[in-house]
Amino acid sequence: MTELQDNQNIVHKVCTLYTNDRDSHNDLFQEITIQLWKAYPKFRGEAKFSTWMYRVALNTAITLYRKSKKRIDTQDYEAVIFKIKADEYDETEEQQLKLMYKAVRQLGDVDKALVFLYLEDKNYTEISETLGITEVNARVKMNRIKTKLRTILNP
Amino acid sequence: MTDELELLKKDWQKKTADLPTLSYEEIHKMIWKKSSSIVKWILIISILEFTLPQLLIFAPPMEEAMQIYDHIGVSNYLFALSLLIYAVALYFIFQFYQRFKEISVLDNSKNLMKKILRTRKTVKHYVLFSLSMIMVTIIIMIIGVYLKQDITEIVPELKDKLQDISPDKLKITLMLTIGIMGILLTLVMGCVYFLLYGLLLRKLNKNYAELRQLEF
Repeated sequence: MTELQDNQNIVHKVCTLYTNDRDSHNDLFQEITIQLWKAYPKFRGEAKFSTWMYRVALNTAITLYRKSKKRIDTQDYEAVIFKIKADEYDETEEQQLKLMYKAVRQLGDVDKALVFLYLEDKNYTEISETLGITEVNARVKMNRIKTKLRTILNP
Repeated sequence: MTDELELLKKDWQKKTADLPTLSYEEIHKMIWKKSSSIVKWILIISILEFTLPQLLIFAPPMEEAMQIYDHIGVSNYLFALSLLIYAVALYFIFQFYQRFKEISVLDNSKNLMKKILRTRKTVKHYVLFSLSMIMVTIIIMIIGVYLKQDITEIVPELKDKLQDISPDKLKITLMLTIGIMGILLTLVMGCVYFLLYGLLLRKLNKNYAELRQLEF
């Protein structure tokens, strides 16, 4: 429980990527928490707790979670979660980031999982083990996602 | 693009501070809430699918049906068939239980999806089996009616009313009625099932296909 509380930002981050509004965010957060709690007795401490948490959280988001995105409009929510501090960035960079986040949100579930692990600075070995694909395929997939993002950003 | 993703990565990691933080109590409250995961739904729906056909057999109108089977003279065959159905159903339930146990959220995503789909496939095979057994029952009844000498014995209550109609005509009408009812019943049940099945697994199938596609 305490470990869960300490690492809850992992779950929140998964929720921000996979949901569009506060209600669904909380809903998914709750589901992941339940799954983590149920699976905890099987956690043997072989892996790091956070590694284990990434796996359960992503599995819940892309496989077990049943509800689909309620609405596409993400304005109010992004204002809260993706609060971009204007003084830290110059205008163009801020704009660019906003567009990037928007593009990432348009990706499919599996693509999002790869991007998420990439943003979390995971290496390809860890990405491939989490998703159950080979390392080579993870790299291929990541390159395809980059191309996809490019097309979304510069149509 | 790599540069942009790197930029995004930096920003993403910086944002951690902006994320909501729930208290120990708030999280603790959550773990006692009910899960609404797809695995749970599959379990509930599968149990329903295993029990509904069995409940149908014991429903009151079925007793009358049994009498009709008796009158047609096929009750022995149908009894043997129902024994077979029970044996096969038990086998499917056992298989389902085995597969369901294998599902673990700790697996990698691809394996997890594969196991869920395999579990569901067991139920799908059971449903296909049940539907085909309905058809077999219908066929046995039609053959029974065909071989029956005195057709009016089947529904003794209506004997007087049916006397004016020629036996051959009555026989064909009865066979057609049973046949059409049977086909309609199977079709409706099949449609409802595959609609439910498709809706439930649409997302899962899509994501699994995407992961598998990489292997080729």
